[in-house]
Amino acid sequence: MAPRMTTQRRVFKGLGNGVLVLMLLWTAIPFYWMIATSLKHDKEIYGYEATLIPERPTLANYATVFRETPYMLFLRNSVVVAVGSTVLSMVIACLGAYAIARLTFPGRALLARGLVFTYLVPTSLLFIPMFALMSVLRLTDSLHGLIIAYLGFDVPFCTWLLMGYFKSVPVELEEAARVDGCNRVSALVRVVLPMSLPALVVVTFFSFTHAWNEFLYAHVFTSTTSARTVTTGLVNFMSQDVFFWGPLMASTVMSALPPVLMFLVFQRWVVKGLTLGGVKG
Amino acid sequence: MATSKTVSLTFPSSQRGLRWRPDRVQRFLMQDRALGYLFLLPAILVIVGLVAYPFAHAIVMTFQAKTAGAPGRFIGLDNYRELFDSEQFLRTVFNTVVYTAVGVGIKFLLGLSMALVLNQERFCNNLFRSFLLVPWAIPTVMSALNWRWIFDDSSGLINNVLVRLNLIDEAISWLSNPHLAMFSVIVVVVWQGTPFFTMSFLAGLQAIPKELYEAAEIDGASVLQQFSNITLPRLRPIFITAVMLSAILTSAAIQFVLVLTNGGPADRTMIFSVLAYHLALGGAQRLGMGAAVSLVFFPILVVFIVFLTRRMLREKGE
Repeated sequence: MAPRMTTQRRVFKGLGNGVLVLMLLWTAIPFYWMIATSLKHDKEIYGYEATLIPERPTLANYATVFRETPYMLFLRNSVVVAVGSTVLSMVIACLGAYAIARLTFPGRALLARGLVFTYLVPTSLLFIPMFALMSVLRLTDSLHGLIIAYLGFDVPFCTWLLMGYFKSVPVELEEAARVDGCNRVSALVRVVLPMSLPALVVVTFFSFTHAWNEFLYAHVFTSTTSARTVTTGLVNFMSQDVFFWGPLMASTVMSALPPVLMFLVFQRWVVKGLTLGGVKG
Repeated sequence: MATSKTVSLTFPSSQRGLRWRPDRVQRFLMQDRALGYLFLLPAILVIVGLVAYPFAHAIVMTFQAKTAGAPGRFIGLDNYRELFDSEQFLRTVFNTVVYTAVGVGIKFLLGLSMALVLNQERFCNNLFRSFLLVPWAIPTVMSALNWRWIFDDSSGLINNVLVRLNLIDEAISWLSNPHLAMFSVIVVVVWQGTPFFTMSFLAGLQAIPKELYEAAEIDGASVLQQFSNITLPRLRPIFITAVMLSAILTSAAIQFVLVLTNGGPADRTMIFSVLAYHLALGGAQRLGMGAAVSLVFFPILVVFIVFLTRRMLREKGE
């Protein structure tokens, strides 16, 4: 019996290694192509002299992006929108999640249900009326408009994630603080929030990267360069008559870097948060 | 809690228990209630203003001939009638179903294999895991742009390599050939979305107690038997949640098609979100028609959404 087991194990181990190599290639090759293109001269990108590996790597495409395109402006806009919507949704979500997790009032369960429901309604069902709403409020072509619009996704999601975490903070700790004279708000700030640090990290990661990656609202609500974020700015480069893959890939590499770095740093928490709530698939 | 129980037992039921509770408790409860609503007010405003109201407005719009900035004119069911008479819409329904079902199906299978492989013990496994998950962290628009360049007719990676290997004489138009376009779009969807399944399934695998496998091993169960009798049943709840969530988000994801093919060639990759986008924000700005396209798909989505809402609340013990 025993030898059969070990042979079997070995076969599956070998099979696993084979599959792993294929998966790594499948994942890596597009990255490679993106980075390689960004480091090539036009001659190596198009035509007969096109290469698979950059022969004379150059940063010229990166220089072009900064010198000849409004990329810096897009970057700044993305940072403003991401930070703004993250801070706002954090405050709103912390208060809301605390109320649902700790306070008893009629309608509490209904609100919890409403939160999950709204978080699951995709933006592609809402962008048309949202466009009409933003037009009426004169919030198109504005970073404020985007910050507000993103709350529609961030707040339900963050509240939902925090709610579960707040519940796991022992009530006794908070009661002790309240005996010592803390009111509800200071108990939340001094006891519950510090104990929920991992959840706060996850929530910050999700709302920041959501704002950074969001495309549909940003694309629909902006029509001029001034309020474009990175995602819609790059797509707009592409849809213009003249676009070059070198600079476009250079800006793609740069725009993908912040969320990827954040993900690698916070990976452990993010994966945990993901299995709790689930996001984009 | 103990005191309030005694109180309601001692006094006749006709008298409300609340009135007999100590003053302090009552004040505390009142405060709790007011504070609850106060804390939730911003969140409620967001939900109502940015989800519920737009959604209700979308329903109203589908009965209107409406352009941006102008008030709508009521036209009854004309938008819907026009949609169901149009071949483009019927093709869109078909495409959306194919795109979602095939995309989610492949993501599921690849994600499960990746998770099983990463669950094996090996040198540097954590490093491999981190790397395999990176496509998920990249902004989807960036992935789509990158893949559009990979698929490029004349200088893209795929044609480049195929020509070098003498496998083809002429470049293949991955994104503009009517028979290949949908396939190409799904490849990108799968590349971006597989890590989500991998992450979910890997977490599920790691939650299965090792003792179960050890016991099965002693009983002489083969690896495949262990997989079908322990692994699969244990992962079932995660399978259902992941598939439903992914189905909602895949069917609604607009950026891949918008960046790669813009719905073409000849509507072969037109899915509902892109059609809605074209109708509402393309030249004619027919917001009512666009909203109607989205709304037709909502009943299917809502089944998934309601089901998922229940599951997610149950998992959190609500």
